[in-house]
Formats: sequence, C-alpha cells, structure tokens
Amino acid sequence: MRSTNWLRLPGWRWWVPLMALAVLLMVAACGGEEEGTPTATPGTPGPGASPTAEAQAPADQQQIVVQSAQPEFFDPHRSNFEQDIAIERMLWRGLYQLELTADGGVAAVPAMAAGEPTVAGNVYTVKLKSGLKWSDGQPLTAKDFVYGIQRECDAKVASPYQYVLGESILNIVGCDDYFNALGTETEPKTPTDAELAALRDAVGVKAIDDTTLQVTLGAPKTTFTIIMSLWAAFPAREDVITKYGDKWTDPGNIVTNGPFILTGLTPGAGGQVVLEPNPNWALEPKPALRKLTIKFIDDLEAAFRAFQTGELDITNIPAPEIPTIQADANLNKQFLKVGASRIWSVEMQMKNEVLSKYEVRLALSRAIDRKTLVKVVYNDAYLAANYWMVQGLAGFQGNAAFEGIVGYDPAAAKKALADAGYPDGQGFPTLKLTILDRPDRKAEGEFLQKAWKDILNINVEIQAVDAKTRSQTFNSKKFELFMGGWQIDYPDPENVLIGLFDTGGGNNQYECSDPDIDAKLKAAGAETDNAKRIQLLQDAETLIVTRLCGMAPVYQNAFLYLADSKMGGLKPNGQIDAAMPGNWCPECWFVKAQP
Amino acid sequence: MAYAIRRILWLIPVLWAVATITFFLMHAVPGGPFTQEKKLPEAIVLALNRRYNLDEPLWKQYLLYLWNLLHGDLGLSFRGDRDVAMLIRNGFFVTAQLGILAFIVAAVFGLGLGVLSALNQNGPLDYVGVFVATVGAALPNFILATFLIVIFAVNLHWFQILGWGGPERMGDVLHPSAWDIKKLVLPVVSLSFLPTAYIARVTRASMLEVLRQDYIRTAHAKGLAEQVVIIRHAIKNAMIPVLTLMGPIAAALVTGSFIVENIYSIPGVGRAFVEAVLNRDYGMIMGTTLFYAAIVAVANLLVDLLYAVVDPRVRYG
Repeated sequence: MRSTNWLRLPGWRWWVPLMALAVLLMVAACGGEEEGTPTATPGTPGPGASPTAEAQAPADQQQIVVQSAQPEFFDPHRSNFEQDIAIERMLWRGLYQLELTADGGVAAVPAMAAGEPTVAGNVYTVKLKSGLKWSDGQPLTAKDFVYGIQRECDAKVASPYQYVLGESILNIVGCDDYFNALGTETEPKTPTDAELAALRDAVGVKAIDDTTLQVTLGAPKTTFTIIMSLWAAFPAREDVITKYGDKWTDPGNIVTNGPFILTGLTPGAGGQVVLEPNPNWALEPKPALRKLTIKFIDDLEAAFRAFQTGELDITNIPAPEIPTIQADANLNKQFLKVGASRIWSVEMQMKNEVLSKYEVRLALSRAIDRKTLVKVVYNDAYLAANYWMVQGLAGFQGNAAFEGIVGYDPAAAKKALADAGYPDGQGFPTLKLTILDRPDRKAEGEFLQKAWKDILNINVEIQAVDAKTRSQTFNSKKFELFMGGWQIDYPDPENVLIGLFDTGGGNNQYECSDPDIDAKLKAAGAETDNAKRIQLLQDAETLIVTRLCGMAPVYQNAFLYLADSKMGGLKPNGQIDAAMPGNWCPECWFVKAQP
Repeated sequence: MAYAIRRILWLIPVLWAVATITFFLMHAVPGGPFTQEKKLPEAIVLALNRRYNLDEPLWKQYLLYLWNLLHGDLGLSFRGDRDVAMLIRNGFFVTAQLGILAFIVAAVFGLGLGVLSALNQNGPLDYVGVFVATVGAALPNFILATFLIVIFAVNLHWFQILGWGGPERMGDVLHPSAWDIKKLVLPVVSLSFLPTAYIARVTRASMLEVLRQDYIRTAHAKGLAEQVVIIRHAIKNAMIPVLTLMGPIAAALVTGSFIVENIYSIPGVGRAFVEAVLNRDYGMIMGTTLFYAAIVAVANLLVDLLYAVVDPRVRYG
C-alpha cells in the first residue's frame, strides 16, 4: 500500500524557514524609526515664507496630497462643516478675505473688493476690482454677489449659516424675512412664486452697476468686512446653477473665482477631490501648486500611517500619537501644533434642580484639574483653560482672570458643595455625563468622573453615544452634564458669546439666562465703537465664566498636523485655518526645491 | 431551472420585508439626518424636511419610497445630494474587486492549507495549518491590518496603504496602468486572513472525515495513484461542507468590510453602509441594506446550485 504521507516532510526542515521568517518579521517591526532626542521644537509653525523667499521645485513636482475629513457639499451656501468650507475657500473668494497682520493678528482685507466699503448710515457700498473673471472666463460682477447673498437668505437653499447674514449678526435687511418665508413647523406657509420673488428682491443687497455692490443693514456693524469674507457671502453664478441644478458643483460644471478650480471628484468616504490652478485668479500670489489632491480620510490613525509611508504630505494627527512623533526626530521636525479657536467645556443644564445652584456648578468646576487632564488624556496637546473667549481673539483675558474663582482647588470645591447642602457629597444625586462614543472622549469622561468622585464624593454616570444621538440629546436640552464646546466661525469675540449665552439664544441649550449677561451682549451687538464693543464682550465673558452660566471651561484645543518638510508657504493660524494648516492661503503653498 | 426561478422570485417578498423593517427601524432611532450639535434654525429644518419629503407622515414616506423603488429609484443621499444608486454602484465596483481578490486568496490558501494539513495529520505541516487557522480566527482584522501596515508599509516601505489599487471604472479593468499591486496586497491580505482560517479548518476536518471512508480504501486497493485518489475522490467529496461555508464568506467579502475599508481609506460600499447609519442618511441606509440583502440571497442561491454540480445526488425539483 502506498503511503498517504506523500506530502509529509522531515519535521526539522520546516522549522528553519519558519524561524528565519520570524526573525525577519521581528527585525522589520522593530526597525525603521529613528530614536533619539528631537532637535526641533514642537509647535513651531511652518516657514510661512513666500514663494519668492525659498526656491521652488520645478512645476512637474508641484503636486501634493493632503488629508481632510469627508465633506458633504461643495456649495458654499449649503455647507456646514469645516472640511467643506476649507475646500470652498480654495475655490472661491468673497469681497474680503481673512489674512494675518504683521503683529500676528487677523484682519479682513480686500479680495474681490477694490478697497474698504464706503459707509453712509446703514448702507455699505463696495467697489469691485476691475477685470475680475470667473474660471470659465466670464466677467465676475456685482450681480454675482447679489445672487450669492440672496441665495444664502433663501429658505429653499436652507443654508445652515444664514444666521451670519441675518438679524442676529450682520443684519442684512430682509434676509430673515426671505429666509422665514416657509414659516415654521407648527405654522407653515406656502408663499407663491411671486411672493417669494418679492421677498428675494427685498433683501438689502443690490448691484448699482457691474462693479458696485450696495448692502443695506438694519444697523451699522463693525464686523461687516469680516462677515463678507465668509463663505456665506461668496458670489455665485445664477446661469450655472439654473442649468445644472444640484449637479452644478460637479467637475466640468462648477465655476469658481478662487485660486483653484475643481477638476476631479470621487465622492464618499475614501474619495478625493483634485484641484488645479484657476487661470483667471485675480489676486497674488498665483498658485505654485499644479495639482492639489485632497483625500477624504476620517480615521486619523490611518492618515498618520499614510504620512509615514509618504502617501500624504499634510495631515491632521490624533493627540495620542504625539509621544511617537516627538520620539522620532524626523517626524518631530514636521510636527505643527497650532492653537485652535475652539474651546471645550463641561456644559451644565441650568434647568436641572441640582445644577441650577451656583455652588454645585462651582464645586464641579473647582474639582477639575485641567492641566492634568490635558496632560494625561491629550499628551499636553491642548491648553488648560478657565476662560471662554479663546486665545488669539481680541479681548482675550486668559486664565489669570478666572483661575482664582473657578479654577482647580479641591478644598474650595468641597466647601462649595457643602455650601450647596451636600457636605462630602451626602445626598447628592447621580448625574449623567453625556459624551461622544470615541476613545479620547471616553478617557476624558472617565477622568472627570474619577475627579468628582475622589474630591467631591459624588457619582457621575457616563453615557457614551454616537454623534447624532449626542446632538439630539443636546438640542432637546434633555441632558444634565454634557461635554461640548464651540469652534469660532469667524475671528471675532462676538462669535463665541452672542447666541450662546443670551437668554433664548439659538445655541444656548444649557439655558443660561442672566439679565446682566443679556444686557452686556445686547449692548455689544449694537456698539459701533470697536474698543467699547470689545470691552462689553469682555464684561460678558467675565460674568459668564465667574457665574458658570451653563458651562465650566476645560481646555482650548489645538490643531495637530504633520506637514512634509518639502512644503513651503504654510502659514498655519488657529483663527482662520479650517481643517488644514494655513489653508486660508492655499495659493501660498509650494513644494520647495529639493537638494 | 424551475428551482432557480422560484428562488429568484422569492427575492421579492424577502426584499420587501427587509425594506419595511429597515425603514421603520431607522426612523425609530434617536437623531435624524440634520441633527447636529449646533442646532439648526427651525426654518432650515423645515426647508430641508420639505426638500427630502421628510415633512410627510411616515406611512406616506414609506409608500413613496416603495413606489420609487419599484421604478428603480433609490433616492438621494442626504450627504451631498448624490444619487444613492450611483454611490452604491461606484462603491461596489471597488468593494467587489477587493472582495473577489480576498475570496480567491482565501479559497486558494484556505483549501490548500486545509488539504495539506489533513494529508499531513499530526505532522509539522498540520501544526502550521492549525496554528494559522487558529490565529486567523482569533485575531481581529484591524489588529492584523495594523501589524501589516507597520511592518510592511511604514518600516519596510514594500507596500502602500492609502486608497485602492484597482480601476475605478469598468472600462479600465483591462488596462495594466489601472492596477497598482503595491496598494492591493495589504488590504487583500487583511481581509482574507479570517476566511482563510475558517476555510482551512473546515476543509481539514472534512478531508479527514473523507479520508477515513471505505471508498478511499477501495480506491487505494484498486491501485490508483495517490494523487488521483486525493484529487478525484477525496477533495471532491470533502467540498460539500466547505461550499456551505464559502457562500456566506463570498457574500460577506464582496459586500465589504467597514474596518478594512476604513483603515486603508478605500472608497467602498462597506464603509458607506456604516457611515450612512451613523449619519442617519436614510436614503443610503435603505439602499445599502437592500443591496446587501440581494447579494446575500443571490450568494445563497449560487451555493445551492453549486451543490448540484459537485454532488450529482443533489437535485432540485
């Protein structure tokens, strides 16, 4: 009988190749990273040099790949997320654009506008530069800005950022009336086309001639040029949108006026856009990059790995990777930490019986060791904060103003809880802390839970939920404690206060209601003297933070990026970046000449 | 043939049931497509609901959806107003490539490992096979993927990890320039490891069972060559239980893995499905769920038909 073991080999011969493979894998896994003391200082912004100051690589090398979260729309009048807006700012420019000033501040400077507006009472007149063109060569005129602004105020377009042009912020006459034309859910309206046209025409924006735009506000506004630099006020081509409908932003259809044009798109998760220079871009500098590919990668760990393999040139990175980056000299010199205009806090429902007591909120706030939280959970990537108006904004007051009142002090925390009627936590009910179901947020929640238990002897139950459930919980006001915050939409301190802390404010889900705060915010909204306006906003912040009206600040975020050493022209700034370092000026980016 | 037609017709009530359950379940979950932390003004929510017919009563939305479905219209994704059918088609084209390649790798290596293990029972090759099968079944694929990426991409720079290395359009399938092997290897290995392990284990067990049968002894006694006995008699008879497993495996692979597609940033439909649920993108949820249901049903039908091919005793009336 033949043996059935015709494939059996002597045992020992199998172990030699197996052992060799195991050794090879171990060597490969352990190798490849440079250990050693980092020589570069983390947090140093990119060179920020203009293309003329550093030599550029030849044109065929001016191609980069950048990471971004997945966008929803490329329509500036429908966009809501920073990744959408980041790309739209590469494709369009408004009358004004935000830039860095010599002293490191941010200002709105003329873009499509020829200069500052002429102001007569509530009427702002803006002259456009001459010879402006769209990417398809058609003239860009004042009518295009009229159409864009009317579109932003159109209820059928349903722009999430209409409010910046409406009564609460810029207050363009008629914008809210047009926007509310469809009524509410409980009292819907069905206006006729003629009625809608009349409301549209009543919006306070008109083209006096091809190069003169007139905007009528409800009251003068010092932030006019800042608001007009936002995507909400970008121009739009009525003929293109009419012709292509919802597909008007597809490559081949879309027409833009910014430094780049959209030439390629793979939609959806894992997709990408491809941008190329706009031949009719009116301003300087002209883009040096010949091709800018933006890959949609939501998983920052995956993006980090792709940067290490050389497949990405710029990416956001997750905070837990900071020690890995800092331990690698090559990665460390490519690491950028940029203070973001985003503040994070423990939000507290003021209608809750327990949290309505100031002493309880004070106890919770003073039991948070913010510096340790930032160190332990985020590897010191962020700034511990007892303030709300973020660093970088005019009127920034910083920790010194509030540390002694609401900052970390375990003894003061215990005393406050006892003053509230719960000595050593006795009788204190279990509160729920709602967080996003994500590893870093869970770590943060557990840190706070432990701190409150250790110092105050109170129990807090963590509810980790997905993003939509979290938002629903917040908007329905059915929460007790909630980890949340605010990212500025534009670099002005009013944006972090108005609407968030005034009674009935659109984003005031924690029901802060304080007549003193209301008075300050109302006065600031109406004030036309900028210095006085900033002072009023500072006063409002002081009241909000010291009274812990709806929240206790915890930290200010930072943007964490890796940018390949070959990149030049990056000017990262936390106030005006959106999703990428220095993407407020992508025309400044270039690939440096390699030695 | 009649059997196959009957099975295909059964798809209709199955898909209807899936659509109905999914539709009402997704509306029961907290949060909607426009729910976000920065609360949208009521006017916007009203306008958006009108735009997507979400202001209608639920029963009316359901009937409207079924009516559109009968006309082949899967509606729009709320994220970007893109046609759901187009998104699924484009995503599936990528996912199918990944799934088919992973299936081929899993089938070849799984069957091969299982057969060799059985033929070398209790020998070193058997131990290797069992070890690989056990590790493959126990190791989550995101951990395996991470190891592969760190070792072979980050450190050795042998492969790339961003995106898919295959064609994005059907017309490019035969163009060599549309394929980038460096981007294909790691996602395919990551996805195929677990099914390879399962196939290997089942094949080994099935082969061992078959090798003990009298007809195998008879075949040897008749003087047939070992290779002939193994290939013509043993393997063929051992395939029945393996086929049972490979149907669902094929369906699972071809419909995509959220984890693998996420790790390698592959624009596939597996990831789109999970993200649709997280975003409450009703159009995409319905479209991808129905799509998966159809794929699974068709895969099971193909497996049943293959039984008849492999085992002549199996006949369907």
